[in-house]
Amino acid sequence: MSGELIEIKGEMTLISVLRLASAEIELIRQGVQNKRDSVPQLFANSPLVVDCSQLGDGCAALDMVRLRATILDLGFIPVGIRNITDTCVEAAIQAGWAVLRAGRATGASVRVERSVSEEKADADVPTTVMTSVKVIDRPLRSGQQVYFPEGSLVILQHTSAGSEILAGGSVHVYGSLRGRVLAGIGGDTSARIFCQKLEAELVAIAGHYRLLDDIDTNLKGSPAMVWLEGEKLKIAPMF
Amino acid sequence: MSRIVVVTSGKGGVGKTTTSAAFSTGLAMRGYKTAVIDFDVGLRNLDLIMGCERRVVYDFVNVINNEATLNQALIRDKHVENLYVLPASQTRDKDALTPEGVGRVMDELHELGFDFIVCDSPAGIERGAHMAMYYADDAVVVTNPEVSSVRDSDRILGLLQSKTHRAKQGETVREHLLITRYSPARVQSGEMLSMEDILEILAVPLIGVIPESQSVLQASNSGAPVILDKASDAGQAYDDFVRRFLGETVPHRFLEVEKKGFFKKLFG
Ligand SMILES: Nc1ncnc2c1ncn2[C@@H]1O[C@H](COP(=O)(O)OP(=O)(O)OP(=O)(O)O)[C@@H](O)[C@H]1O
Ligand SMILES: [Mg+2]
Repeated sequence: MSGELIEIKGEMTLISVLRLASAEIELIRQGVQNKRDSVPQLFANSPLVVDCSQLGDGCAALDMVRLRATILDLGFIPVGIRNITDTCVEAAIQAGWAVLRAGRATGASVRVERSVSEEKADADVPTTVMTSVKVIDRPLRSGQQVYFPEGSLVILQHTSAGSEILAGGSVHVYGSLRGRVLAGIGGDTSARIFCQKLEAELVAIAGHYRLLDDIDTNLKGSPAMVWLEGEKLKIAPMF
Repeated sequence: MSRIVVVTSGKGGVGKTTTSAAFSTGLAMRGYKTAVIDFDVGLRNLDLIMGCERRVVYDFVNVINNEATLNQALIRDKHVENLYVLPASQTRDKDALTPEGVGRVMDELHELGFDFIVCDSPAGIERGAHMAMYYADDAVVVTNPEVSSVRDSDRILGLLQSKTHRAKQGETVREHLLITRYSPARVQSGEMLSMEDILEILAVPLIGVIPESQSVLQASNSGAPVILDKASDAGQAYDDFVRRFLGETVPHRFLEVEKKGFFKKLFG
């Protein structure tokens, strides 16, 4: 049973997806731990998305608080949870989960991810140009998330530690950027992140991420831009 | 309409109940008919701080469940006129609070002609805290100068703008930041966050800074809100806060380490 209990797959280049087949926290812990210990260098500190599509209504039995604690405890970064039933959304949010919505069709996120791997296989596939822009005029507070797969996000104020921005395109923050920010979540490698004051916890573009804990300190607190050059995430001051 | 103000924080033990007691007393002292409601169902603290614990017969949950009328449950404050306390139940659980029930009590308070309704929120971000903020027009977010308290306040600010009645109508809840238990000496020595640090993180208008003060404990032991202790630093700071809330411009005080005067220097 524990053999097919979980499946960790690198869907986006670096973000792994944990597909739950059981709501039993101890079983999940065992499964994830085994997987991690088999390739520790691959999974250490890596972002993880939890997918509950196989659980269906079994979601209700999932202890969201313990799930998150367990994942953190095992050294992963819980980026978000998806395909949970509506009744579980509140509990997930309360437990500090970012609930990733799969758009109108439940299959949307899967499709997006597949396009990522296709793109990897065939680099000539043109990425869809995203022209849509969403503007947020309030600070993004701890525990809040904006998810905008359709295009770019512009935040006119600061974002707090513990907040999360996920955009299909680029992200612009006209204030301090303190939370996590994931641009190009659908695989757009040309997406960029711009901010007035870089204090982010994690930055990612098209699945390539970096924890800001371990980067050059002289960039922290200054206006900065993040972009992808080949496989490498670059961060540079803007002025 | 009555103006509904929630005193909230996320983190526990930061001074919400102390603030609710001082704030409601200060509003009533200025002639506003004020009700202060204890939303901390199961713990009941406000009545102690207000010194009316021996007069509690009915409580907030009784009113919500139609087991008592609002007039039966409201306790007239013994220190100032115009002030009424609606105590929490000690025996029920938080599920007794529903948006409909709380809304009905708010409407009735409005009909009774209350100018202000102050809601003392429990800690946390669960039902009790959610119900306390639900109908708020204004929020006084109480923060201590430490990282975890500031983080929780930030979380609460997010909920205020997404989970409240106003947010659902597409309106905003007015935000006011109140820093309490501020110790300039400990800020100077780097043990605590400074007012500037907190404002930088939260970006919310500052309505007051209450110093860490012995007088708060004395006040709660004697069951008289600290704002009535006019000689105390915390009492004065709370009074400044009430005046600012009512629209006056009052400079902030108690932000610097007190310089020892000549005699104090000589004699200790
Ligand atoms: N300015 C202050 N100076 C010194 N002590 C203070 C001050 N403000 C509050 N306290 C003390 O801190 C403790 C907690 O205060 P209070 O009960 O008002 O917090 P609370 O936020 O309502 O707590 P809870 O989350 O449990 O409801 C009390 O012992 C109180 O006396
Ligand atoms: Mg309290």
